[in-house]
Amino acid sequence: MKRVVASLVLILALLFLASIGYGDHPVTIEELIAVLSRPIGTNPQIEMIVFDLRLPRVLLALLVGAGLAVAGAIAQAVMRNPLAEPGILGINAGAALAAVIVIVALHDAPIHLLPWAGFGGAMAMAAAIYGLSWRNGTTSLRIILIGIGLSALSGAATTFLAVSGDIHDVQRAMIWLAGSVYHADRAGVQVLALWLVAPLALALLSARELDLIRFGDDVAQSLGQRVNLIRALMILLCTLLSGASVAAAGLIGFVGLVAPHMARRLVGPAHADLIPVSALIGAALVMAADLAGRTIIAPAQLPAGIVTALIGSPFFAYLLWSRRHLAT
Amino acid sequence: MAVIASRPSKATSTGGPAVSADGVRATSLAVLLLLVLAASVWSVTLGASHVSVPDVLSAIFAFDGSREHLVVRSLRLPRVLAGLLTGSALAVAGAIMQAATNNPLASPGLLGINAGAAFAVVMATSLFGTGSGTSVWFAFAGAAAAAIVAYGLGSAGRGGATPLKLVLAGAVLTTFLSSLTTAILILDETTLDTVRLWTAGSLSGRTMAQVAGVSPYILIGLLAAMIFRRHIMTLSLGTGIARSVGQNPILWRGLVVVIVILLAGGAVALAGPVGFVGLVVPHVARLTVGVDYRWIIPHSAAGGALLVVIADAVGRTVLASHSFPVGVTMAILGAPFFIWLARRNGGRRP
Repeated sequence: MKRVVASLVLILALLFLASIGYGDHPVTIEELIAVLSRPIGTNPQIEMIVFDLRLPRVLLALLVGAGLAVAGAIAQAVMRNPLAEPGILGINAGAALAAVIVIVALHDAPIHLLPWAGFGGAMAMAAAIYGLSWRNGTTSLRIILIGIGLSALSGAATTFLAVSGDIHDVQRAMIWLAGSVYHADRAGVQVLALWLVAPLALALLSARELDLIRFGDDVAQSLGQRVNLIRALMILLCTLLSGASVAAAGLIGFVGLVAPHMARRLVGPAHADLIPVSALIGAALVMAADLAGRTIIAPAQLPAGIVTALIGSPFFAYLLWSRRHLAT
Repeated sequence: MAVIASRPSKATSTGGPAVSADGVRATSLAVLLLLVLAASVWSVTLGASHVSVPDVLSAIFAFDGSREHLVVRSLRLPRVLAGLLTGSALAVAGAIMQAATNNPLASPGLLGINAGAAFAVVMATSLFGTGSGTSVWFAFAGAAAAAIVAYGLGSAGRGGATPLKLVLAGAVLTTFLSSLTTAILILDETTLDTVRLWTAGSLSGRTMAQVAGVSPYILIGLLAAMIFRRHIMTLSLGTGIARSVGQNPILWRGLVVVIVILLAGGAVALAGPVGFVGLVVPHVARLTVGVDYRWIIPHSAAGGALLVVIADAVGRTVLASHSFPVGVTMAILGAPFFIWLARRNGGRRP
C-alpha cells in the first residue's frame, strides 16, 4: 500500500512538472523555479503561461480525474457490478442531453451556460432514476434497470438532435461530449476544488460502509447497516462527485470505470485503501491524457476524454492480464 | 420466423414440471408471433402510397411487375425484413450475453461489436468516401474483428474466459475503439455528416441484395441459439453450477461468443449500432416470463422483431420522415414501457 501510494505520488509529481513544462513554449525547470521564487511581475510572459494557462489546466485534470475515479469506486461498490461507473446513475446521459440542447437546439447560447446545464442535467437525471426506482426502498438491480431505461430515452433525444441539428453545432457538441480540459481557468478550478473537497472526504470516511454494502443487502443489514439510507447517501456522493466533474470537463467516461479496477489490482478490495489509490490513479490518467492529447499531434489537440481511453485501455489490459487471474 | 415458430411445441414437452406455466408461456409466444406477422404486413402497406393487404400478398406470391408490386418488392419488403432480422437478432444476442456473463448490464455491444462496426464504417468513409452500399460489409467485418479481439483478450491468461474478464475486456475494447472513432469524427466534419444517420441506427435504403446477403448469418445464429437454449440456461446459473451438472463452461462460452458475433454482427451491418433492443428486450422478456432462458430466447426474438418493425413503421408514418433513425423511435416507444415494467417487477430477486 505505502509503496503503491509513494510511486503514484511520484508519477503525479512528474506528470505535473511535465504538464507545466511542455507545450508550444517550453518552460525549463530553472525558469519555473525563478518564477516561483521571485516576486510577481519579473517575467510576465512565463508567469502568464504557467499561472494562467498551464496550471489551471493541470489542476482541473487532477481534480476531475480524482473525482470521477472515486465516484466510480463508490458506484461499483453500491451496484455490486464490475461494469458500474458513474454513468450508470444517468449522469452522463443527463449531462449529454442538457449540453446538446444548449449547443444544438439553442444555437448561440453563451458558453458559460454549459457547465451549469451539464450539472443540472446530471442531477436531474440521477434524481429521476433514484426516484423512479424507489418502492419501499430500492435495490441495485432496479436502479440499474431504471437507469438503462431512462438513459435510453434521453440518449434517443440526444441522438435525434445530433442527427437533425446543424453539422457545425453537432461537431462542437461532440467535442464537449468527448470531455476536455482546454477551457480551464483559475476561477473554475477553485469552484470545482471547493465542491469536491467535502464529498471526497466523506467518501474516505465511509470506506467501512462501502465494504459492508458490497456483500449484499441481506448481509449488510444483518451486520447492522441501514442499507437504504447508506445506499441513498452513497449515490448522492457519487452524483455530486461525478456531476461536478462532468460539468467542469465534459464526459470523460473511461476513468470512472477503470481507475477503481486498476486500484483493486494494486491494493485489493478494502475501500480504505481503494478510494485514495483510485483517486491518485484517476488524477494521473487524466493528467497524462491531457498532456499526450496536446503534445503528440500538436498543433492540433485531442480532447483529454479520448486520449484517456486510448492510453488507459492498453495499460488496463496489461494490469488485468499480467497479474494473477481474477476470481469468478 | 418459421424457425422460431416450430420450436415451442418441443419445449413444452421437454419443459419442467410446471406444465401449466409453460402453457401460458407458449400461448404468449404464439400471440407475440401473430403480432409480429400482423405488424409486418401492416408496415408493408404503409408509406407514401398506400398498398392494400391483398396487393401486398399478391406482390409476394404472384409478382406481376406493376408499379405497386415493384414498390412492395424493392422498397418496403427489404426494409421490413431487415427490421425483423435485426430486431430478433439483437434481442437474442442480448439475452445470450446476459446469460453468459450473468450481468444485467450486458448487451450485444459489450463484446465491442457496435464499436468495431462503427469504427470500420467511419474509417472506410473517411479513407475511401464510400456510400451506404458497401458499409454493410465493412460493418460486419469490423464487428467480427472487434468481437474476436475482445474474446481473445478476455480469455488470455490463466482461468480462461471468465465472465468478469470477458465483460471488462469488451468494455475496454469498446471504449478504445469508440474513442478512436470520435477522434476521427472530431477532426473530419465531412465524414461526420455522412455517417451520423448510420450511427443513430437506421433501416432506410436497405436493398434486397443486402438483406439476402446478411440473412444467412442471422438465421444460422437464431437457429443455433434455439438449439442450444438449454445449454445457455445452464450457463446462466454460473460457472460453479454449470460445472457440477457436467457442462464445460469455457467451451460453451466460446460457442456463445460465436453465436453473438453472427447475430449482432449481422444486425449492426443491416441497421447500424442500435443499442436499445439488445439491452432492453431480454429484460422485458425476463420480467414477464421469468428467469428461464429456454423461454427468454424465443420471447426475445419475437419481442425484438416486433419492437423494431413497429418503431420503423411509426417513424416512417407518424413522423413522416423517411430517414428518421429507428434507434430513436424505438427508445421513445420502448423505454417508458420498460421503466414501468422494471418499477413494477424489477429487483424482486437480489
